[in-house]
Amino acid sequence: MRINLREKENVVILDISGEIRRSDITNVTLHQMVKDQLAAEKINILLNLEEVEFIDSFGVGEILASYISTQNIGGKLKLSKISKKLYLIFQVTALTKVLEIYDNEETALDSFSSS
Amino acid sequence: MAKNRLYQALSRVTDIHPGEEIIALLLFLYFFFITAPLTILKPLRDAVFLEYLKSENLPYAYATAILVGFVVAFHSKLQVKISRSLLIIFSLLFFIFTGVLFFFLFLSMPQARKMLSLALWIWVNILTAVLVTQFWITVNDVFNPREAKRMIGFFVSGGILGGISGGLITGIISESNTPYGLLLLSAGFLILCVLMVNLIFIRKKKNPLHLEETKGLSEKVGFRDCFFTVSKDHYLRLLAAVVAITAVVSTFIDWQYKHIIERSQSVNTNMASFFGFFSAGILVLPFFLQLLFTGKLIKRFGIRITLLFFPLILLLCSLGIAVWPVLIFAIFIKGSDKSLSYSINQSSRELLYIPVFPQIKYKAKIFIDMFLSRFAKSFGAGLLLALFGMLSVLGVDLNDPNSTKIKVIAVSLFSAFLLLIWILLNLKVSREYISTVKQNIKLKWGRADRTVDEKLDIDYTKLVFDTLESKNRSSVLYALHVFDLLQQEKLTPELKKIISQKTDEVKLSALDDLFEAEGAAWVHGIEDELDEENLKTDISDIMSMEAYHQIMNIHAEQVMEKSKEAETEKMELAKVISLMDSDSPLVVKLEDLIYDDSPEVSRYAIESAAKLKKKELIPAIIHKLSNPLTKEDAITGLLKYGDVATDILKKYLEDSGKDLEQRKAIIIILSRLGSQSATDVLASELEKNREDLATEIIDALDRIHSEKPAIHIKTKIIRRTFLYLIKKYYKAFLEYDERKASRKKDETEESLKISLGISLMNIFKLLGFIYPHEDIVKAYQNIKTGTKHSVAYAIELLDNTMKKDDRDLILPIIEDLPSHDREKLFRQLLKNFPKK
Repeated sequence: MRINLREKENVVILDISGEIRRSDITNVTLHQMVKDQLAAEKINILLNLEEVEFIDSFGVGEILASYISTQNIGGKLKLSKISKKLYLIFQVTALTKVLEIYDNEETALDSFSSS
Repeated sequence: MAKNRLYQALSRVTDIHPGEEIIALLLFLYFFFITAPLTILKPLRDAVFLEYLKSENLPYAYATAILVGFVVAFHSKLQVKISRSLLIIFSLLFFIFTGVLFFFLFLSMPQARKMLSLALWIWVNILTAVLVTQFWITVNDVFNPREAKRMIGFFVSGGILGGISGGLITGIISESNTPYGLLLLSAGFLILCVLMVNLIFIRKKKNPLHLEETKGLSEKVGFRDCFFTVSKDHYLRLLAAVVAITAVVSTFIDWQYKHIIERSQSVNTNMASFFGFFSAGILVLPFFLQLLFTGKLIKRFGIRITLLFFPLILLLCSLGIAVWPVLIFAIFIKGSDKSLSYSINQSSRELLYIPVFPQIKYKAKIFIDMFLSRFAKSFGAGLLLALFGMLSVLGVDLNDPNSTKIKVIAVSLFSAFLLLIWILLNLKVSREYISTVKQNIKLKWGRADRTVDEKLDIDYTKLVFDTLESKNRSSVLYALHVFDLLQQEKLTPELKKIISQKTDEVKLSALDDLFEAEGAAWVHGIEDELDEENLKTDISDIMSMEAYHQIMNIHAEQVMEKSKEAETEKMELAKVISLMDSDSPLVVKLEDLIYDDSPEVSRYAIESAAKLKKKELIPAIIHKLSNPLTKEDAITGLLKYGDVATDILKKYLEDSGKDLEQRKAIIIILSRLGSQSATDVLASELEKNREDLATEIIDALDRIHSEKPAIHIKTKIIRRTFLYLIKKYYKAFLEYDERKASRKKDETEESLKISLGISLMNIFKLLGFIYPHEDIVKAYQNIKTGTKHSVAYAIELLDNTMKKDDRDLILPIIEDLPSHDREKLFRQLLKNFPKK
């Protein structure tokens, strides 16, 4: 898993590529990376999953833990460009009831300013 | 520079912030130039009336207040057509012109003075109602609750000072000249008022914040709209009742005072001069009261207690005059009424309007202050006439000068009765005040952990993802997962469809490799061909066979001897154990599997151990809390043990030699357990004031408290930690401030800033245990992220919720103060910091 950081319209975007899985973690976990942003008072976070090929249960745990940490301090964590298949799994497991998922980055960024 | 000097001068007498000095001074002068002519005109009105129409006709004069109400209704119709600033200036010009007209009429038509004195009475009342209400509407437009609360004493002082000046001028001029010249003098003051209003509105337009926050106020409203606004709102109805009863009591007191004055030989020769000096003299006390005590009184006792001062003192005076109905007591009761109504009562009553939404407030003030209070005066006059009628029926000769005493006593006792109702209404309205403040701020977010727990079945979610992942790894592991789903009756048709899909069925980039797995063909068949019930029974039967266990044991021995390359086999083994009974001999293998270097193997083993609830495996699972790759699984696993694990977790948490991340994870587990024993462990750890774990423990307790308010947490521990953190906050702030002043931006300064934010969050979480949790959370969230107005309402809520000792410690942290003032306050507070 690789994560690139960029900032747009007051939102930190994490471009994730590869697989979010336990065996693929090297230096720092996704949750730790999100916590670092929160500590720096950057509380609007968008996870761009366009290049994500696979997520295992550890990855789901990381996304949920990041979501909880962000929401608990009044921030927002949202997802964008998730694959159709993954979205279907998210729906079956009710993850879509908790996580806000957007088709593209623009809509996702707009949603931060309107909420 | 000049602005700075003005700020320094004003900040000595009132609590103003830099940038507020000019608007504050303008409003001070605006009120000064309104009340000066009012206290000139009122003595003139009273003296002329008593001279030409006598005190017997006073109740009829009071009754004309209803006419004022109708003029007010007309005024509200006018403001539908023109802007706020134009309406105020137009009103002022109208009163200037009519004042001059009265002057000429009084001088040129002496034969019509009886009629003119009644007209003057009505005119002065209209002028008072319109101008004073317009002033307070302007204050409400310009400032938010906290700003108004800080400066209200200053504005009212301007009004009182104007009153003293007006009274003295009246007294002096009326001693030697015809009093009608006072009409021209009042017109002069009103011209200055026009100038002030112009400057205030120019300044208001320049300030975009105020423009934004008062947006919508220019919407035109009619009198009916104002009436319905009040009648529909419980809080406004209460406010209206308080204002109405105040007006009735004030009418009674005014009658008692004037009736006794008229009968008194010593003052009735030059009444205009007497009323002038009396007005000036009696306002000296409220001036000092206002300037020096009102603000402090409100700050010290809050609105609830402050509102009771006025009616309680009047109650004592009413009972006094009932016993001793003489001139000195008449002066005393009128003096109390006038001085306290201009100081404490006016300030606290205006504050009651502050939490009302600006547009509703505007409509409410028009109806309550301008119409209802006049109507109540008329009603009071009606009550007076009814009371005298009753006395007459009882045989009292009302025209007999000796009946003065009986009339005054009767009015006093009736006043006392009304004052008791007033006190009760004040108690009710102050309670409602806090609810109205709360309505102005919203809860911005809730604890997400609770939302996630409520909306998601995390175990199921993870099992689904594991099933999909296993498809790519091993057909055995995949089959075990499918069986697990089957056993838990969670293999829904939708899920079957998803996990049965091959890559070519859905053209997607993600998960592609999964569908090329060796087990895909087998899986494809599960859609409709399997008899699920039979399959469950068959597998369970096989797993309960002794021969199966023997074979599996041999297999397990072989697998465990292998090293890293057997990862998948170990995962299969760990998974299969979870499907067996807890007394299976294979369960002993779990400990080694948990300690396995592979996080994948570890977490399957943790899951199995938790499913079988093997207590002896708890230390091994705790060990895995240190590894970020197995931490979440270990937390989930330990949670499945429930309270059984609490004692062991406690030992690890208390051991400061253990890994910090491990101990932090234990805090998360205890908070998610949320039992009384888990809470006790956390509370006793909090008592130790360990810096490294404080934030996590406070957050854990906050989670428990918000989810299970019935769980008890020792207040003593919370309070002690609260004081400790406040002290720590003050010290950190002073250090941060010093570093900031040295202008050397370094890492320590940044980390101090972050630490201050965390400390504040912890302090509020602790406050949530002492005071209503939702109110504290609301206040914190709005202070942290709200607009200037919602921050002000949040502080107002805290101000009215917390006890004085806590308020004194918290407010200096969150109030909008200049840095050096805050620093000074913190140093003072640190010197006298409470021990417990």
